[in-house]
Amino acid sequence: MSRRFIEIAALTDAGSVRQFNEDSIVADPDLGVAVLADGMGGHRAGEVASRMAAQVMFDRLHAHITGFRSTAGPHSSLQAVDESINRANRAVFDAARAQSSYHGMGTTLAVTLFYDNRVALGHIGDSRIYRLRDGVLTLLTRDDSLLRDEIDLGLISAEDAGESHNRSLVTRALGIEERVRAHLTEDDARGGDIYLLCSDGLSDLVDEADIELIVGGLQPNLPLAASHLVQAAKDNGGYDNVSVILAKVLQPFSAASQQRWTLRWFGWLHGTGR
Amino acid sequence: MAKLVLSSAGSIVQQCFVDREVVTIGRQPDNALVVDDPAVNAKHATVFPVGNDHILEDLQSDGGTLVNGARISRHILQHGDVIQLGSFYLRYLNPRAASEVDLERTMLIEGLRDPSESVPARDAPRARRANVRLPSGQVRVIRGARAGETVVLDRVIATFGKPGEQVAVITRRPHGYFVTHVEGRRHPRVNGQSIGLEARALRHGDRIDVGDETLELVLD
Repeated sequence: MSRRFIEIAALTDAGSVRQFNEDSIVADPDLGVAVLADGMGGHRAGEVASRMAAQVMFDRLHAHITGFRSTAGPHSSLQAVDESINRANRAVFDAARAQSSYHGMGTTLAVTLFYDNRVALGHIGDSRIYRLRDGVLTLLTRDDSLLRDEIDLGLISAEDAGESHNRSLVTRALGIEERVRAHLTEDDARGGDIYLLCSDGLSDLVDEADIELIVGGLQPNLPLAASHLVQAAKDNGGYDNVSVILAKVLQPFSAASQQRWTLRWFGWLHGTGR
Repeated sequence: MAKLVLSSAGSIVQQCFVDREVVTIGRQPDNALVVDDPAVNAKHATVFPVGNDHILEDLQSDGGTLVNGARISRHILQHGDVIQLGSFYLRYLNPRAASEVDLERTMLIEGLRDPSESVPARDAPRARRANVRLPSGQVRVIRGARAGETVVLDRVIATFGKPGEQVAVITRRPHGYFVTHVEGRRHPRVNGQSIGLEARALRHGDRIDVGDETLELVLD
């Protein structure tokens, strides 16, 4: 039972100002799945969009992993993430078309799938994925946001972005069109690595040096690290909903060992194995 | 909608609304805002919109453009900014941009770049500067290998103790410093009493036992 590959701590909070929380998070360490979505749309439709996207993502990824573990490889976790994103996009898009109060709703997305010593990363919008390795925090995603474009075009500097009022303007979202292009990448996941998925309620209010310090310093206690991140965002104003998922790689997790682990767990359930 | 108000010697010379169009500023009469001052260039500066922002750009003028006393080449205008052009003052008023919360709602907008273009390696947008007052203090190590040393508590957290055995964190928050147990079977003690798993507010002079050390909090 102690053969967990991934440890996960996840936390979402409405923040200090907003009444509602339009972020949604779903995570499962046994599956190696973490999904975070930051919804948008009037009349609390953002809540609906983010919850629907996170749930469809999770259900689809669950089905993919179950397939991976019961059949011989090779399996592409990137393809699984891509297919899941398309299904989630379609679900939100269809719901938005079916009900007028949901019209125009959409959501950002950040997703990680840990499989076979690698992690498949997917994202849309301004939710981010970071990795802490050897004490150094690295941003692995590029925001789909107006600010990011402004910086890339040299209109403003990354530092000036702190003074901008364009912080919540995203240039791509899930559920808005019939199809969505997600950003998909893969990374080697090493023992000790910590992946952080977060909504802009964190990255807009807590600078990267402080995120690095909190995740690095409190990593022996992942839930405490997660609550400190949320608390730091709220202490700095907490203007937006804030969500974080920390996923720590505890040990190598080759496909073979994951399969064995699942089988042993299954056998134990049925009283045949140990 | 935002507004630019030009004044000279204490009286208003011209007002101009700014929304989606570029506002040109200079001595020449064909500018949207005409600043009749020999120290101002014919075409001195512009204000252009990007999303919710208005960006002021100095057009490499001879006399320069000052915002709130500092010379700028490009500046994201903030509600209440005062722009100095020669002997004239130009005030930027945008009440909507002053209310933080209204603009926090995530919205979809057309991007500026072609998504298929390769991405240059530039820094991600920084977090905004927090508008909070934080306490300032330090801990004096009064027992243990580092006895006599002080550790300044000027970051969001500082950890103490021995990794793997016993670690505690001191957290800096707007309303003070707090100590919390991080790992280990023993919990840290404050003034001789175990703090358990909860965050414990710290006062000046509190003594914290963690690992092999005793620390004393000193508030400035």
